[in-house]
Amino acid sequence: MSAMSGPAEQQAAARQGTRRDGLMIAILAFTTIGFLDAAYLTYVHYQGFGALACFGAHSGHSSCITVQSSQWAEIAGVPVALLGLLGYIGLFASYLIEARFDGELGRGMSFCIALIGCGFSLYLTYRELFSIHAICEWCVGSAICMTALAVLTGIRFLRGAPTAT
Amino acid sequence: MASRKEQKEQARAARIAQEQASAESAQRRRRLQILGGAVVVAVIVIVAAIVISSGGGNKPTGSSLTTGSQATAAQSAVNAELANIPQSGTTLGNPNAKVTLTYFGDLQCPICADFTLGKGGGGWPEFVAKQVKPGNVKVTYRSFCTASCNNTSVSNPQALFNTQQEAAYAAGKQSKFWDYAELFYHLQGTEGTPYVNESFLTGLAHLTNGLNVPNWRVARHNPVYAAQVTADNGLATKYGVNATPSFVIKGPKGIQSVGSGVLTYSQLESAVNAVS
Repeated sequence: MSAMSGPAEQQAAARQGTRRDGLMIAILAFTTIGFLDAAYLTYVHYQGFGALACFGAHSGHSSCITVQSSQWAEIAGVPVALLGLLGYIGLFASYLIEARFDGELGRGMSFCIALIGCGFSLYLTYRELFSIHAICEWCVGSAICMTALAVLTGIRFLRGAPTAT
Repeated sequence: MASRKEQKEQARAARIAQEQASAESAQRRRRLQILGGAVVVAVIVIVAAIVISSGGGNKPTGSSLTTGSQATAAQSAVNAELANIPQSGTTLGNPNAKVTLTYFGDLQCPICADFTLGKGGGGWPEFVAKQVKPGNVKVTYRSFCTASCNNTSVSNPQALFNTQQEAAYAAGKQSKFWDYAELFYHLQGTEGTPYVNESFLTGLAHLTNGLNVPNWRVARHNPVYAAQVTADNGLATKYGVNATPSFVIKGPKGIQSVGSGVLTYSQLESAVNAVS
């Protein structure tokens, strides 16, 4: 019996390990894309909207500019793009904590940061649609990344630490 | 009967299993605690961010349009002043009037508001009643960025200026430009604060007498208004305008600058007489 279950268990563990690797790769990919997106928006915020590439148009000028110059583009004077950037940096830090110090805590931090980012991104998307009546593709891109990260880091957290094989 | 050695091994295995179960249970408890903490922290941070972002923690002056007595008073004043005066685009008054006064303004400019509302000796209300309403003069509004472009409280003052001026021009498509612009002046917030936003501009549209707001929303996307704001700036440069409100008057006897600032009715009347 044990001679039969040994290789089967190893195969199952290997499959599980592959799934975990895939999940982490997806998480890292979304975090990197979101980080670059937020970094670009932060750069544009301080550099000037002339540097903003935008596909939409609103009232004859860029819908991204409309969104970025709206009252919802800042929280107490801090650009939301910068807050997003800090969020992505926080996610990278949580991955480091998970790998180096405390796996459970690191995964919990990742989920918490992604959940905050997701919740606030959804609120900002609501504002874009119903208050500003303009859409900024870069903001939507970051919102998609954060939503995906909330789901993926949630799954990863609930799955727990990989079992030693 | 199991041997003593087997019994020991069984006991050991049972102990290890119990320890594993206990460790797994502790791990589950810790995971649930972290999960609960993460969700609570996330909810608190999201709610706080939304409250601050909505203005609860850092409410910009005038960010929400007054819907009480101030708005009602503004509506009544504007409706009374502009009643029965023809409008077309940004032009107020008889389209066949021989004299045209060009008004260079910025909707965030407090001096424009003073002039338009008749404060500080501003002659606009009297001018409208005595020169525009009878059909002697028509007035055309042109945009020139002054106070809006000095508003450092917003990320992109020029873009916001364009947005607000275009919103007013879009009302002009329904011959409601002057209603919208005058309401803007009536309900202007503190200079240099980020009070102009979408809810402010849309609120003005709702307050504008007879304006079809859905059509206004659609019209705002028309690039012709952005082009108009750009063209206005070119015209201002041509006339040497560097402040708002500034005025240029044109009539049968020629064209001349009337100056800028809170002009009185007599100054405007003299200008009309000079070109008539």
